[in-house]
Amino acid sequence: MSVERPSPPPANTVSRRTFLRTLGIAGGGVVVAPAFVRTPASAQETPSPLRPDPTAKRGGTLRYAVHNAPAHFDVHQSGTVANIGPQSPMYDTLLRRHPKDGQTIIPDLAWKWDIAPDGKKYTFHLRKGVKFHDGGDFTAEDVRATYERIARPPKGIVIPRTPLFSTVGDIVALDPHKIEFRLTEPRPRAFMLGAFASGWNIIVRKKTLDEHGGNLRQVMNYPGTGPFRHVSRKDKEIWIMERNPDYWNKGLPYIDRLEVYHMFPFSPELGSAFLSGKIDYARLMDPVSWRKAKEMPGATAANFNQSVIQAFWTNMNKKPLADPRVRRAIHLAMDRHALVEVVKDTAPMQVGGFVYPFHEFSTPRAELEKRLGYQADVTPAVQEARRLMREAGYGQGIKGLDFVVRDIATFKLWAVAIQAMLKEHINVETNLRVVQTSVWFDEAAAGNFDLAISAIVSTLMDPSDYFSAWYGKDGPQNYSRWTNPAFHDLANQIERELDDVKRKALVRKAEDILEQDPPLIPVAYEQIYDAWYNKVRGQNPSTYFGIYDVVRWDTVWIAPT
Amino acid sequence: MRKYLVRRAVYAAGTLLGVSLIIFVVLRILPGDPLVAILGVEGHARMSAADRVRIMADLGLSAPLPVQYGRWLVDIGAGRLGRSFFRGDTVSELILHRGPISAEIGVLALVISWLVGLPVGILSAFRPNSVPDGVARALSVLFIAIPGFWLGMLIVLALLFWFGYKAPIVIVHVWQDPWQNLQIVIGPAVVLGLAQGAYIARMSRSCLLEVIGDDFVRTARAKGLREGLVVFRHALPNALLPVITISGVLLGFVLGGSVAVEQAFGVPGLGRALVTAVIERDIIVVQNLVLLYASIFVIINVLVDLSYAWLDPRIRYG
Repeated sequence: MSVERPSPPPANTVSRRTFLRTLGIAGGGVVVAPAFVRTPASAQETPSPLRPDPTAKRGGTLRYAVHNAPAHFDVHQSGTVANIGPQSPMYDTLLRRHPKDGQTIIPDLAWKWDIAPDGKKYTFHLRKGVKFHDGGDFTAEDVRATYERIARPPKGIVIPRTPLFSTVGDIVALDPHKIEFRLTEPRPRAFMLGAFASGWNIIVRKKTLDEHGGNLRQVMNYPGTGPFRHVSRKDKEIWIMERNPDYWNKGLPYIDRLEVYHMFPFSPELGSAFLSGKIDYARLMDPVSWRKAKEMPGATAANFNQSVIQAFWTNMNKKPLADPRVRRAIHLAMDRHALVEVVKDTAPMQVGGFVYPFHEFSTPRAELEKRLGYQADVTPAVQEARRLMREAGYGQGIKGLDFVVRDIATFKLWAVAIQAMLKEHINVETNLRVVQTSVWFDEAAAGNFDLAISAIVSTLMDPSDYFSAWYGKDGPQNYSRWTNPAFHDLANQIERELDDVKRKALVRKAEDILEQDPPLIPVAYEQIYDAWYNKVRGQNPSTYFGIYDVVRWDTVWIAPT
Repeated sequence: MRKYLVRRAVYAAGTLLGVSLIIFVVLRILPGDPLVAILGVEGHARMSAADRVRIMADLGLSAPLPVQYGRWLVDIGAGRLGRSFFRGDTVSELILHRGPISAEIGVLALVISWLVGLPVGILSAFRPNSVPDGVARALSVLFIAIPGFWLGMLIVLALLFWFGYKAPIVIVHVWQDPWQNLQIVIGPAVVLGLAQGAYIARMSRSCLLEVIGDDFVRTARAKGLREGLVVFRHALPNALLPVITISGVLLGFVLGGSVAVEQAFGVPGLGRALVTAVIERDIIVVQNLVLLYASIFVIINVLVDLSYAWLDPRIRYG
């Protein structure tokens, strides 16, 4: 008897078990598939940490006033708020500072970055599907062209941020959405990331640069990828932008229209435009109007630190000033609290030394104000200053110093106060010579001064940015022609030291050298006064550093009134 | 008359050529580097010698001065006024956009100066040494003495702090919105008009005092004419000639004064553009605007001279 075994199902037939298994896999696949069917790059792409706030109201117009009459339109070549103030909302950067605190570095056009363990390679993974305002696709070639220009500007192009990238060697586009910066030697991560997140380093299209021979000074509307698009501009009046409907960060920006009005910093006109309700947000207000705004119901006023030192230079080529004791005496003869008070109705200032007084590496304020030269009571500092002058052989004082003053209200007020302090405290007599800004820089560069008062800025708060520019042997803003080999060695070490704790100690050491052998005489550090009506939501600059990194307005919205 | 016109035209052209030469030379010999404004403080500090050569060539500033001057004259002849160094905007666009606002201020100021100055002058002349005359004279001295920009700032602050008011902050032309436009121009026009009105009042008073002592006025009164007719038909037309002359000169002052007053009121007119251009050392804009102001002044003076013949039949030009 034979038993007929069931024959195995033919290969092309489906058993119940196979059917159910296949169905299960397929069902699960429907759920899981989207995670796998995307392209490898976008599979990893993370959204921006700036997610739309569901409670935010969409639409409306923000009327914002800032200096918006730049000398030219090339943001890379600029160093003034007149460019970054109005143009920034039209562009993105590789990384950016979080608008919540103005400090934390977050992804922007690069959604992720890797840093090689030896610190010599920075790889950025770029977002896909990002479009320039003219419809062009954003690729690694645009980043490469942008940074080649910043790091190695062509002839006739001058970019103040070039030194930040002095160690950048090759910039290689690994694929259309991945780019690698190869450094010739490592730099502290915070320094490099800060440089990449600087608001000045906007990404422009390679095609745009090619079309204009690498010079955008007179190109008013060149395409960016930013949250707002150019609509129209009336010189020294208004720059109008509209919401970019194709912005890569879906859901942002909230407002439909951005109107940027031209108002000079600290001008009564800006103050009156805000107080009369002609604008919603005022940047760089004068102290009198700002205090009025602070008292106004329905308005908020904030102050924050700015990346500017106000100082006067002492020409090292003039004999008495070459002596560090004389310069230290001049430094100690300053009553800095009084100097801040002198200009309190003109511009907001704070006391500080040779390093940004609010930076983590600098001597803390409480400690600083115990030092000679920074105390509220100047008697001990003046005694020490007189002793130093006697020791240097100038106990009877110095006569006839040429004091070149920039024709700007704060400098003119300070110059008179400094003149009186120098005369009263150490019998140094100065002749004030007020000149226009352009003349001041001619005179400073040619060394035609004994003392010269002005202000200079830095891009980063990190000392390695400004130690070389302000105090470096060939630093472009070392108008005193100051040299100190011990300091320069230390500055080199600070630039290369990757350990933050060690860097901080080195910076303190550098501060000590600068106190004893001042390359310039710090007068004060600037602050910024902003005010806005409470209907403007989504941004408070109180913790920002400067007005150059967070000017995108993408997270700002207008509440119904 | 035609000969006179040709002669005046030649003189005017000569004057303007002289003005253009002076502006051109002064702007080039003044100390200060325009590249500071163009590149900014930091950029300027980092600029190399090669960069400077390249940028100066781009701006057309590296050619010899006579060549630059010649090019400018050719441009003016062709109706091109050049471009701002900085943003590339043309000076013609600037004049077309901002000129109407400044022109409105000038014309309104002139009208206000006549509306205020002439009645005050007449009142003073016909009631000499009375209380109204004393008040009028005191006020005229006051308005002549007060700087326009200071009065302007006071008005702006008073309006802001008492009424929370500020005029529109961007240009609105009269054909776009007459009411908004009036709010922009009225402040500077009143300040400038009052100052010039004081001059008109003083001039018309002294001229009328001279004329009302003349025989023809006495005759008119002796005929029994009403005082109004004596004033407006006989005395005033004969006293107006010097007032018209001074109005022409005053319009020049209005143009000059508008530079500071526009600044005080924050009015985006040509005067303000000139101030900004001077600060920025935008020499192309400065030289063209100064030449424009000079041309207007010269033309007004020619028109005033021509108006003499029309107003006073005794005057004939040959």
